[in-house]
Amino acid sequence: MNFTKEQLIAFEDRVADAFNKGKIRSPTHLHFGNEDALISIFANIHKEDWIFSSWRSHYHCLLKGVDPEVLFSSILEGNSISLCFPEYRIFSSAIVGGNIPIALGTALSVKRRHEDAKVYCFVGDMTAESGLCHESLKYAINHELPIQFIVEDNAKSVMTDTFATWGLESSTFSGRHDDFVRHYNYTNKYPHSGAGVRVQF
Amino acid sequence: MTWLAQDPRTLFLGQAVAYPGTAMTNTLIGVSKEKLLELPVFEETQMGMTTGLAITGMVPVSLFPRWNFLLCAVNQLVNHLDKVPVLGHGGFPGRAIIRTSIGSVRPLHPQHQHVGDFTDAFRSMCSTINVVRLEEPDQILPAYQKALEREDGYSTILVEYGDYYNEK
Repeated sequence: MNFTKEQLIAFEDRVADAFNKGKIRSPTHLHFGNEDALISIFANIHKEDWIFSSWRSHYHCLLKGVDPEVLFSSILEGNSISLCFPEYRIFSSAIVGGNIPIALGTALSVKRRHEDAKVYCFVGDMTAESGLCHESLKYAINHELPIQFIVEDNAKSVMTDTFATWGLESSTFSGRHDDFVRHYNYTNKYPHSGAGVRVQF
Repeated sequence: MTWLAQDPRTLFLGQAVAYPGTAMTNTLIGVSKEKLLELPVFEETQMGMTTGLAITGMVPVSLFPRWNFLLCAVNQLVNHLDKVPVLGHGGFPGRAIIRTSIGSVRPLHPQHQHVGDFTDAFRSMCSTINVVRLEEPDQILPAYQKALEREDGYSTILVEYGDYYNEK
């Protein structure tokens, strides 16, 4: 399913409106500012490929093919932070780094079963610096698994300055774009959780 | 284990799976090398990989030779493998077999960090995973059979006793 930047933004605006009106009674994490980057990335992602995402996954789901109304209904039901759509090969986790080793195992399965598919694992800037990410990336590269980690870098972990906590100037993966890692920067107009009006969880 | 290995979906993974090293290794004698995946020591990642294999339809048999080692994988076990049936609304195959054991104390006692039995604690923490303590030899085959053939998408932890490998 093809989406324009404007359609993606409009979807999140609709979710934000529903959240601010109290129609969503669960944590909701909104995308903004990475539409062009994701449209470009998903241009090369196919139906048989796997997507592993986090608590912020609405754009990933839409671009993988989930019907917007199905997605919106699931968000209204409170599933935003861990959206899973097995029929679209989408798995999301609300635990930091939780999706990474699962994605690694799926890539191992794809390789062992000689399936024509690739695994794409989306991680934030803080998650990307974790030991879990580094050891999984090392394993993936050394065993030539069909997986790419996409580092979505807004330099924040909730409200924390990610790189200050690590004593870094920028992401370990800044500017990297190869078979195993793709990094991009963006700025999100939305807060970490919610849409800026209602109290956060 | 040779019976489990006959199923094309199974894969045995962990440390001391393809190499000797623990009492559990001996239980894999007779399993073909292609079915054995020796992993680095990274228990949390191992458990996550187990889930990742399971959601594609494979049936991973993941070995953690002692409960104390499996503790390092609790996040992936409780927050992910246990929740797959719920998060995926039953759409992921999601069936894994976890093998662990209560460390042997005879003839050598390995001391405090190797003899934990957390069966009851894990039963409390897990909402879908079935935790089965294998007390007698005649329990073993039916328990593994059920873990492999169950169709509810739930995973199973099978708890063995290090001492019983020699005694029963």
